[in-house]
Amino acid sequence: MSDALALLWLPFVLSIVLVAIHTFLGLQVLARNVVFVDLALAQIAALGATVAFMLGHPVSSSGSYAYSLAFTLAAAVVLASTRSWSQRVPQEALVGVIYVVAAAAAFLVVEKAPQGTEHIKQLLTGNILTTGAHDLAFVTPLYALVGCGLWAARARLARSGEGSSKWLWDFFFYACFGVVVTSSVALAGVLLVFSFLIIPAAIGMLYADGVRRLFIGWAVGVLASCVGLTASYVWDLPTGSTMVCTFGATLAIAGIVWPLRSRDTAAIVARGARVGVALALAASAAWIAIAPREDQPLLDALELVSPVVREMYLSRNEMQIYTDADEYAQRYSREADRLNDKEAQSRWQGEPLSDSDVRRISSFLQSYNEMRRGEEFVKREVRARARTRVRWVLGAVLLVAACAVFPWRLLNIPVDGARRPLRVRPQAAPSDS
Amino acid sequence: MAKSLNALRHLARAIIVAVLVLWSPVAALAVVSIVATTTDLKSLAEAVGGGRVSVVALVPPNTDAEEYQPRPHDLNRLKDARLVLRVGVDYDLWLDRLVQQSGNRAIARGGPGYVDCSFGIALLDVRGVQVGPAGGHAHGSGNPHYWLDPVNAEMMTAVILEALVRNDAPNAKYYETQRARFLERLAERVRQWEKTLAVVHGKPLLAYHNTWAYFARRFRLNFVGYIEPRPGLPPRPSQLAALIRVVQSQRVSVIVRQPHEPAASVDFLSAKTGARVVILASSVGAVSAASEYVGLLDYNVRTLAAAFREGL
Repeated sequence: MSDALALLWLPFVLSIVLVAIHTFLGLQVLARNVVFVDLALAQIAALGATVAFMLGHPVSSSGSYAYSLAFTLAAAVVLASTRSWSQRVPQEALVGVIYVVAAAAAFLVVEKAPQGTEHIKQLLTGNILTTGAHDLAFVTPLYALVGCGLWAARARLARSGEGSSKWLWDFFFYACFGVVVTSSVALAGVLLVFSFLIIPAAIGMLYADGVRRLFIGWAVGVLASCVGLTASYVWDLPTGSTMVCTFGATLAIAGIVWPLRSRDTAAIVARGARVGVALALAASAAWIAIAPREDQPLLDALELVSPVVREMYLSRNEMQIYTDADEYAQRYSREADRLNDKEAQSRWQGEPLSDSDVRRISSFLQSYNEMRRGEEFVKREVRARARTRVRWVLGAVLLVAACAVFPWRLLNIPVDGARRPLRVRPQAAPSDS
Repeated sequence: MAKSLNALRHLARAIIVAVLVLWSPVAALAVVSIVATTTDLKSLAEAVGGGRVSVVALVPPNTDAEEYQPRPHDLNRLKDARLVLRVGVDYDLWLDRLVQQSGNRAIARGGPGYVDCSFGIALLDVRGVQVGPAGGHAHGSGNPHYWLDPVNAEMMTAVILEALVRNDAPNAKYYETQRARFLERLAERVRQWEKTLAVVHGKPLLAYHNTWAYFARRFRLNFVGYIEPRPGLPPRPSQLAALIRVVQSQRVSVIVRQPHEPAASVDFLSAKTGARVVILASSVGAVSAASEYVGLLDYNVRTLAAAFREGL
């Protein structure tokens, strides 16, 4: 546990800092309808850092940062100038173009220094887990400053003025945004920063107005970060991706809970869910009847969760073959691991192995692997045969389950007013209810 | 008249002789053009072929050869090549399609100009036979970094020599002497290197990627783990925690990284545990000191030994 705390407290503090500034910026971004602008600015900053790298500034030096900043500010000028450049083409198109061109240009520039490819990847992927205290000490005051500046100017930013003052405030926004995104992306990576930016802000906008949106976004963001980091540690998953998926799940839950707040929409959601489950069950029933030897996603998932399901349709003899094959497969892979370890040990301990010994070990390893694959094949084959045997029964069971779940009332046409007619479209006119 | 005719005949004869004399070295200089996938194979081919071969390496140094994206010019190089040298062991899988596209049948799999340098090498870390990622390790058919064992150079140069003789029989003697001379020089250096690395013998080391299996076997080094769980993936939290424990409990004092590998997690571990980061090169040209094969190994040996001597 102390291991986990020692490892995760810095990333967690950084997440809080990132959620704080990005939710605030995210609300502005959503209001301006330039959702992908952070990707474009991050890529521009990466291009700047790459150019600096080519000119001889070491990675993460002040020279490299200056180039990143200069490129980002130039992009901010372009973005501010084109906000209402044309009524015909949405600005989002331009944002996308900036992203792809900057990405391609960075690869062109770096072509001359191959180790730079890794450098670009680093700039974009980041790794929140390996954040150092000095990173935190750098971004926290910077973000606080930018946040205060944007907060003070929030009234001006929201006003849709005209002419040069509007341009100036747009530029101010994009410049602040660029500075923040440039630093965040290097620490947490593009995917995670995008999640920090959009998801808490979107949930805030869904559930509240005014300044409460910000508080809801912060609470949700901190909670999702905490859950994501913990999940990543407990289940041993890559941290960045786990956090992004946790944020996505949070948005999904928020999206499902939102219609449940009113009884009419809740009923519609419930019915929709039942129809979906029933259709999935019916499709599985048909699929197992048609092609019992192919992958059966529903059945496979059920067996993964509880192996009891498998015992229900395998005969005693088949079950015996299946468990034997499983045991042998595990034994072969243990033996292979043991041999590998032994060889690795011999590299530095005891008598060195001769080339012919090493070759013999290799051929043993290959045989073990082949045998393991053979056992896996046996497992698949036994299961496929059993499924073929019971496909009609399994199909019927699934079909009955589908029928049980399906909301039949949906199909009822009201006769003589005995049943209450269903309201089919209350969502379209919520003011009616 | 007759005299001038005679003079003309002499002149013609002189010209013919001159042309013949001048032509013969041109014939001898018609070099064998070779394409190697990596700079290491290029260096070994040059050691065997000397001045009678011209070798191009496709993958630039400090690039992950497993993720190399071929360029248009590579096709031209392969079209004109008489030999192609590859690392094999699933390391340069992209070569097959490239050769096929070039239309040069002589260097396609099974052709007289096709050389898989992993032939006859005793492979380590064999996990299976399938191509692609498996069991936490992309090297399904064995660890491909076999050139980092200098003794393997004997087999590799033998395979290269055989292919050169097959394609350029008149120069067979030349190639054989070149190879013998190179191996003699190498054997002498291997003895020195073994002495130099005696300081590191059995001391626990950590590496970013599983590059050093053959190097470790030759010089009796103890790599206790790798930071990268699977190629291209950063370590997960529990793995990082486990690595910190390993470094502390086994007193790992040196973490090895290559110049092109990401620094973040290596530096993080180093900062947490106080272990020193050492940059080693796995291919010729990755650092400026490693300009050819012997230089590459010499750089690695000296750098590693120096890190331990400083640490004492």
